[in-house]
Amino acid sequence: MSLSSLTKPWEPMSYGFLDPSAKRELRRKMLKAVAVPGCQMPYASREVPMARGWGTGGLQVSLTLINPKTRVKVIDQGADDSVNAASIRRFLARVSGAPTTLDTLDADLIQSRHRIPEEKLRADQILVLQVPNPEPLRPVEPNMSIARQMHGDADYGRMWLQLYEQIVRSGRVMQGASYPSMVNGRHVMTPSPIPRWDVPKLHMAKHLTILSAGREKRIFAVPPFTRVEPLVFDDVPYRVEEHGQLTCYRSGAEGFFMNEIPQPDGSALHEISDSEYGVKHIRTAQGEPDARGETWYQNGQMEDTP
Amino acid sequence: MAYVATRGGERAIDQAERLFRAEMGEIDAARVEEIRRAMPYLVDRVMGEASLYDPDIAALALAQTGGELYEAVLLLRAWRTTQPRLQVAEPVAQEDLVTHRRISAAFKDIPGGQVLGPTLDYAHRLLATEVLTGTPYTPAAVEPAETPAPAKQPSVAHWQAANDLVDLPEPDTTAPEDIPDITREPLLFPAKRAHSLQSLARAETGSTLALGYAAMRGYGKAHPTVNELRLAEAEVMVKHPKGTVFSAGRVKVSQAEVVSKSGDKLQLGFAATLGWNEVKCIAAATLDLNSAGAEKGSATEEEFYLYHTEGVESSGFCIHFKLPHYVTFQSSLDAMRDANSKNANSKQEEPAT
Repeated sequence: MSLSSLTKPWEPMSYGFLDPSAKRELRRKMLKAVAVPGCQMPYASREVPMARGWGTGGLQVSLTLINPKTRVKVIDQGADDSVNAASIRRFLARVSGAPTTLDTLDADLIQSRHRIPEEKLRADQILVLQVPNPEPLRPVEPNMSIARQMHGDADYGRMWLQLYEQIVRSGRVMQGASYPSMVNGRHVMTPSPIPRWDVPKLHMAKHLTILSAGREKRIFAVPPFTRVEPLVFDDVPYRVEEHGQLTCYRSGAEGFFMNEIPQPDGSALHEISDSEYGVKHIRTAQGEPDARGETWYQNGQMEDTP
Repeated sequence: MAYVATRGGERAIDQAERLFRAEMGEIDAARVEEIRRAMPYLVDRVMGEASLYDPDIAALALAQTGGELYEAVLLLRAWRTTQPRLQVAEPVAQEDLVTHRRISAAFKDIPGGQVLGPTLDYAHRLLATEVLTGTPYTPAAVEPAETPAPAKQPSVAHWQAANDLVDLPEPDTTAPEDIPDITREPLLFPAKRAHSLQSLARAETGSTLALGYAAMRGYGKAHPTVNELRLAEAEVMVKHPKGTVFSAGRVKVSQAEVVSKSGDKLQLGFAATLGWNEVKCIAAATLDLNSAGAEKGSATEEEFYLYHTEGVESSGFCIHFKLPHYVTFQSSLDAMRDANSKNANSKQEEPAT
């Protein structure tokens, strides 16, 4: 036995970029986050070769979970070919050797910014959401140490008040994306800036969702089969975006979350936001075998609205 | 033919990066060496904000990013975080610093003397335009003093403590390996003293100045007097596996200690950083001086200034707004349109007056 047989040759970078001590911390914090659903766990959050605010939190989780067999999908605003999604996907593949995919059903690990795919995720899949601001209380309490105490006390009165004021002023809840949601009946979390359309997909889902904010150094999770309930009043039901009746001008798909494409004549066209699902739709129409998986929404309706 | 998703994104980002790098052209060792030699203060600033002392690597980062400072610091931080930590050096006391410059605004003279050292403080800020027309600018040679200033200097605060003017903080006896490390742990509040000083040490110079200046102008309670400002070199003493403690070299450090009257005693504010960066240290020490008892949400509250002087985080978040946000935008539009149509309907229903 010699020293060289016990050690590995020097390499400029660890497998998956992060060094083992960083990965160990992330694994521990992920386990804690799973143990207390929706509760924000602080972590060191290492710098990665991308700017803060560009998915560094999601990236650290993906880098920790990845292995050479993990099939990775990366989306931004629902699209696989968005420039930053392309950049993250390329980086993940480069430092891990993992295969990449555009197909939601084919992916083991999905890192996403601002969307949950339209096809249902399975128990063996992990969704990693990039989070710009992990603190749902930020609009009512910018100070993080006070907000932390408020979570400890389950002191969410000001959140309700904010929603109530919106109804009084505007006749409806004006919250767009990042709709504050109660997780497992205890912690209010931000589901990250996913549209309201996507929040019900988290409720009692089969898959694990990890939400990670690199710049703000917080990680939280929605474990499988966990209640995720948007904050609503008994007499004012939760409303997703009115996209149920819209049709995608490229694929003909109907009843999914759409991007609005302004037209020179003042009108607008709509295009399905989940780009790969749109592609599958077109391929099916062109006579290829139907590769579309089961979707959360059917005919523009969530099957079990929470 | 089957529909294939456009992969324009990948080509576009590739070419965009090439365009950026094309302007700098080929980078060779000579360029890196020239940056290191010609711009020691820029190299120092970048090393301080990166919390990585290596002038060659810092100069390389500057060369690679064309002097885009936020990019250079991010490059260094991302490199630093993956490097193994082999040793924790012995603590360095003020008295042990090899001091190049050390001044106090609190007294006309101080034990050990005022040592001006290298500074532009009293220089007339005139551009040497002749350089552009072909006449090189050669600085006049330094004339050494007859009696050189001692390399090591006592601390002004110790004299003040001996005269019962200031209560020095209790010496921190934490073993070096156990000192909380901001690069390995999250920053939580109230912050550990070590975290707070480490955060200031790697804070972004411009934002530290902005908040420190706000405190100086009156948004802070305490008005700083520079008790002691030092530009120095610190010996990095580490332990050989065999047990011998030896110097692994010296690093340039700067530190500022500011004071203000608090009751019948002086109150201290302190900051130090790698490299020579006086503005940052004075501003950071002023924030430290003002932090005790500062109101939540004020510019001198620790949580406020530590979060907002973190350059990698703030610059990254600022530029992230360039990323597409059309999903969130669509979500807001939906709520807005619905609210507007309800408003319009309810107005129609109102009786005409």
